[in-house]
Amino acid sequence: MTPSALRIFFGTGSWIILAFLVLPILVVIPVSLTDTSFIGLPKDHLSLQHYDTFVHSTKWLFASWTSIWIGCVVAVVATGLGTLFCIGVWFLSDRAAMIVRWIMIVPILVPPVVQSLGFYKFWVTLGLIDSYLGVILAHVLLGLPYVTISVFASLSNMDRRLPLAARNLGASIGMTIRTVIIPAIRPGMISGGIFAFIVSFDEIVSVLFLTVRRVETLPKMIWEGIQESVDPVIAVVASIFVLITLIATSLAALRRS
Amino acid sequence: MTHPIISIRHAVKTYGKFRALDAVALDIHEGEFLTLLGPSGSGKTTLLSAIAGFTALDDGSVHARGHDISGLPPEKRDFAMVFQGYALFPTMSVAQNVGYPLRVRKWSKDRIAQRVHECLALVQMEKFADRMPHQLSGGQQQRIALARALSFKPDVLLLDEPLSALDKKLRSDLQWELKSLHKKLGVTFVYVTHDQEEALSMSDRIVILKDGKIQQEGAPDDLYNLPKNQFVANFLGKSNVVNAHVIGTQGEHLLAEVEGRQFCATYDHANSPTGQVNFALRPERIRLGPPGQETFDGHIAQISYLGERCQVLVRHDALGEILVSHPTWDAALQPAPQMPVSFGWDAGACVALDAS
Repeated sequence: MTPSALRIFFGTGSWIILAFLVLPILVVIPVSLTDTSFIGLPKDHLSLQHYDTFVHSTKWLFASWTSIWIGCVVAVVATGLGTLFCIGVWFLSDRAAMIVRWIMIVPILVPPVVQSLGFYKFWVTLGLIDSYLGVILAHVLLGLPYVTISVFASLSNMDRRLPLAARNLGASIGMTIRTVIIPAIRPGMISGGIFAFIVSFDEIVSVLFLTVRRVETLPKMIWEGIQESVDPVIAVVASIFVLITLIATSLAALRRS
Repeated sequence: MTHPIISIRHAVKTYGKFRALDAVALDIHEGEFLTLLGPSGSGKTTLLSAIAGFTALDDGSVHARGHDISGLPPEKRDFAMVFQGYALFPTMSVAQNVGYPLRVRKWSKDRIAQRVHECLALVQMEKFADRMPHQLSGGQQQRIALARALSFKPDVLLLDEPLSALDKKLRSDLQWELKSLHKKLGVTFVYVTHDQEEALSMSDRIVILKDGKIQQEGAPDDLYNLPKNQFVANFLGKSNVVNAHVIGTQGEHLLAEVEGRQFCATYDHANSPTGQVNFALRPERIRLGPPGQETFDGHIAQISYLGERCQVLVRHDALGEILVSHPTWDAALQPAPQMPVSFGWDAGACVALDAS
């Protein structure tokens, strides 16, 4: 093949793959604008009726709000704990520390159902079933590996002499962490926190295991909505979050350029 | 009696089987410019790091003005360090970097601002106060690292190969600056380098390390003119090492013999060497002459022209190849390949070495 033919071949290929990735996500937008009372593409005209239902439904709004604040709490707690863990391991940086770091990542590898079953058995004895605290704890544990991966990547890029310099200039260990290490690894902490938020925000398996009726998160509502009725409000919720994500990422991209 | 500002006693540090420091004892005096010189792996950086408090010794101790500080953490020692690669805080501006030790010490804002300005003026970097470290060149970062280390008026400044990342021209400029800064401030400098020229040009005193042991210490010219062993003779400048039989003494000097020809050499009067002994011989102190004029006869094997001097390799049957640094402006003898010559030296040019 000539170079230009190669370019066309790979160019087309990447656009097809991109479409395959993005289109199923974007299809929820026309679906959310349907004029029918079930999930499907609009028949006669576009309609905002399901958006209207969403903003007037306390049930959906409440679930959205629950997911958001649980996600925020999880992000903050997981980032805090994960960062402390990483700094400790980084200071030690011996064999044991490396093994502990690998163990920390294991939760990613365990099937979510198995892990949720474990949470369930344990949470029953702790009396945490169907409580916000129970869900938050489980989500923190699920989010921690992502935080440690991202924070540790930042730490590995940091000059090892920086904390030495700080201490040489008179800073105690605590002060060194606060004034030198944390500012240097802030980007890793922020992306770790975002990861933890996302993990919590769309997590459903453990929520299904750990909650009954009191705690309703958004993924659980969607899941129940599909089971009971094929309510187009689900497509509305999905569209709203796709749009929010798009706006947020393009803002972030614009700020960086 | 005043105590040395830093005193290291029987310092031992091992990493597995590797002995980074092997019973090192060293006194550092107030106000001196001391250089720790050695090849990589000689233990010089480990020694500096033990003084700074980053490395805990396996045995021995570090004393400051007579007090044992081996157990003190680095932040309690008040020795400022300039790191290889500078280690400026990337998230802080130049002024914040320089003010960091003062903020840690809870100085007032006004005093910090004033002192930061003073220190930046000291290294001629006042204009750069608001820049971030990554916006500066290597030489500028070096100056900021220096200003930061000096800002809290430490007694001792530890410098870990601070110039190694810079190009040659900038390096020699900064050498002069460091030296004049040392004079101006009267702060004790402990300087680690593997560059012998740097060590010779800047130091009041040089300590040469190899395999975790001190080989020799002394003023630059003493070390250069009177090396104790072969390692020192070859590490500081170039030396020829010749082996000869000692036949006695002649006044101040040692008398040695090679193939019936005798020469004089300087030696350490504390131990009188006998038998076969190695001698160090500086290339620039060997005289070349027409055959028969000097002690030994040989012929020229190779010449390389270096401008004001040329390096001449003279081959002698018993002594082997002798490197001679000959002035090119010497009209009496213009060396040419294969030319027969004679060579010799004064007693002061030749030093008897220890066996090791």
